[in-house]
Amino acid sequence: MSAAQVINGVVIDDTFAEAFPMKATRLLITAHNLTWARHAAVSATGFATSVIACGCEAGIERELRPDETPDGRPGCSVLIFSMSGKELAKQIERRVGQCVLTCPTTAVFAGIAEGEAVALGKNLRFFGDGWQMSKVIAGVRYWRVPVMDGEFVAQETTAVTKAVGGGNLLMLASDTAAALAAAEGAVQAMQRLPNVVMPFPGGVVRSGSKVGSKYRALSASTNDAFCPGLYGLTAKSELTPDVHCVLEIVIDGLTEADVAAAMRAGIQACTAIGAAGGLLRLSAGNYGGKLGPYHFHLHKLLGAQGSAG
Amino acid sequence: MSRVRLTVQQAPALRVDLRGVTPAALAQLTAPQIERVRLTHGTQTLALAEFFTVSCGDGPSADGELLFEGDLSRFDRIGWQTSSGRIVVDGPVGDYAGACMSGGEVHVKGRAGMLAACEMTGGRLTIDGDVGDHAASSLPGSMDGMRGGTLVVRGNAGERFADRMRRGTALVFGNAGDFLASRLVAGTIAIGGHAGAHIGYGMRRGSIVFAGAAPQVAKTFVPALADAPVAWQLLARDLARHGGPFAGLPARRIQRHLGDLSADGKGELIVPV
Repeated sequence: MSAAQVINGVVIDDTFAEAFPMKATRLLITAHNLTWARHAAVSATGFATSVIACGCEAGIERELRPDETPDGRPGCSVLIFSMSGKELAKQIERRVGQCVLTCPTTAVFAGIAEGEAVALGKNLRFFGDGWQMSKVIAGVRYWRVPVMDGEFVAQETTAVTKAVGGGNLLMLASDTAAALAAAEGAVQAMQRLPNVVMPFPGGVVRSGSKVGSKYRALSASTNDAFCPGLYGLTAKSELTPDVHCVLEIVIDGLTEADVAAAMRAGIQACTAIGAAGGLLRLSAGNYGGKLGPYHFHLHKLLGAQGSAG
Repeated sequence: MSRVRLTVQQAPALRVDLRGVTPAALAQLTAPQIERVRLTHGTQTLALAEFFTVSCGDGPSADGELLFEGDLSRFDRIGWQTSSGRIVVDGPVGDYAGACMSGGEVHVKGRAGMLAACEMTGGRLTIDGDVGDHAASSLPGSMDGMRGGTLVVRGNAGERFADRMRRGTALVFGNAGDFLASRLVAGTIAIGGHAGAHIGYGMRRGSIVFAGAAPQVAKTFVPALADAPVAWQLLARDLARHGGPFAGLPARRIQRHLGDLSADGKGELIVPV
C-alpha cells in the first residue's frame, strides 16, 4: 500500500487481482416473451457462483432484443465458465437439460461460433424418444424435440472458447450500507459491458477466500486479512480501524481485456461514490502472482487517473 | 487462377458425356491438353476439340472457373462430381447436371434435363430455367437422393422432384410436377408455385414449404395441432435469402400437416397462410 492512489477520497491500493484461465461458452436462450427467457436463464445460471463446488460459474450477460436472436424472439445471453472443456460440456448438458428444456416456450442457440464444438442439443434430443427431428438450416444442425407446449428447438452444438476467470475487486467501507451501495453501483456499471458476468449473488461475494486452511480437508478458507471482525486478532490484517465492512466482486470474462474493462468500470463507479459515500478503499485479491497468469493491477487499470496518496 | 471457356461448335449427333470436365481437372492443363481430353459420344471416344473451341485465361475464382457457351442440350453430366470451383453454362444443358457434386458452384442459365442434382452432397446448383423429372433424386437403382448442398430452380420442375432426398435444400421458384418429394427421407424443399398430385407420397421426414398455392394434402397426412414458431423462423429466414416467392416467408404464419402416415412418416408440409 506504499504508493496508493486516492480518487475522490477513496484509496486505491497498489495491488492486483490475480485471474486464471477458464473455458467458456455463450448460450442464447429465447422464449415467447422476455419473462420466460429470463426464467430459463436465471434457472440455468443458478447455483453457479464458484467452480469450487458448483462445477461452473455462470451468469446472464444481457437481455436480447428480438432482432438480435436467431428466431426473432426476445431472449437472454448467458455465459458459462468452467475449469475444463469436459466439465463445461457436462454443465451445459445438465443445465440446459434441466432448466431450459423444461421451461415453457424456450429455445437455445450457440452464442459463440469459433471454438471447439461441444454438445448442446446433441444429447438432449434423446428426450424425444425417437420423435425428435433434426433440421439442418444454412449448414447448422438444430434438434426439434416434441414437448407438451409444442417443440423444444436446440442447436446441436455450441463452441467452447478460452476465457479468464477470477478477476476481482474489493470494496472496503465504513459500514455495511456504504459497502453495499458501492458494490451495487460497481456491478451495475460492469453489467453494461459485454463478455463478462459476475457470478455471485447480485454479483457480490462477502466470503472472500484465501488459499489453504488450518483444516487439511479444505483447499480454501475465509480471507481473515480482510475480515473486520478479526482486526486486531489476526496477525496480518489488511484493514485499518475505520473499515467495518468489506465486499468483493468476482468477474469472469471471455478475454483478459474484457475483465480489465469490467474492473475499470467498477473502480470508476466506486470512486464516483467516493469517501463521502462511506467507501474508504479499493483493493484486490491475489495469491502473490504465483497461481494465475493474468494480473490486473488497479493502478494500471486507472492509467494516470487519481493522485499519489 | 484459370478460367477455361468451352464454346460449342455445333450440336453433336449423339449425346456427349462430360464427366471429368470440371474446373479442378482442367485447371492444371494447357489449352492443347484440354483439347485432347477424351469425351464419350455415343459409343465413340473423341477429343474435346471435336465439340468445343477452347480458350484459356485468368479468372477471379481461386478454385478455377469453367464457362460453357452454346446449346448443351445434348451434353450430359455437366458438373458431375464437381467438388470445387465454378461452372457457368450460358444456355440449356442435358441430363445429370450437377449430379453427385460435392462442392463448388454450378450455374445453368438455361433449362436442364432429367436427374439434375441427383445424389448431390454439397455445393450449390442454380438452374435459371426449368428442370426435368427426377431432379434432386437418386441415380437409377440407388437408395438415397440428394443429400446435401443447395439446389435452386428458378423455373419449373418435372415429376418426382426430390424423390428419396435425404438432406440439403432444394427450391423451385415455379411449379413442381406430380409426386413431389415422394419417399422423402429428410431435407428441406420449398415450392414457389403450385405442386402436382401425390405430394410427399411415402415421405418419412423432412419439410416441404409451399410459398405459392396451397397444396392438395393427401388423407395420409394429419394437421399439426402444435405451432413450431422457432423452427419456422429459422427455416423461413434462410429461405427468404433466395428472394422471389420466398422473400416474405418470415412474416407469414403457417399451418402444418404431418405424414406420410402410410410410411409411418413424420415429415411436414408447411403451408404459409
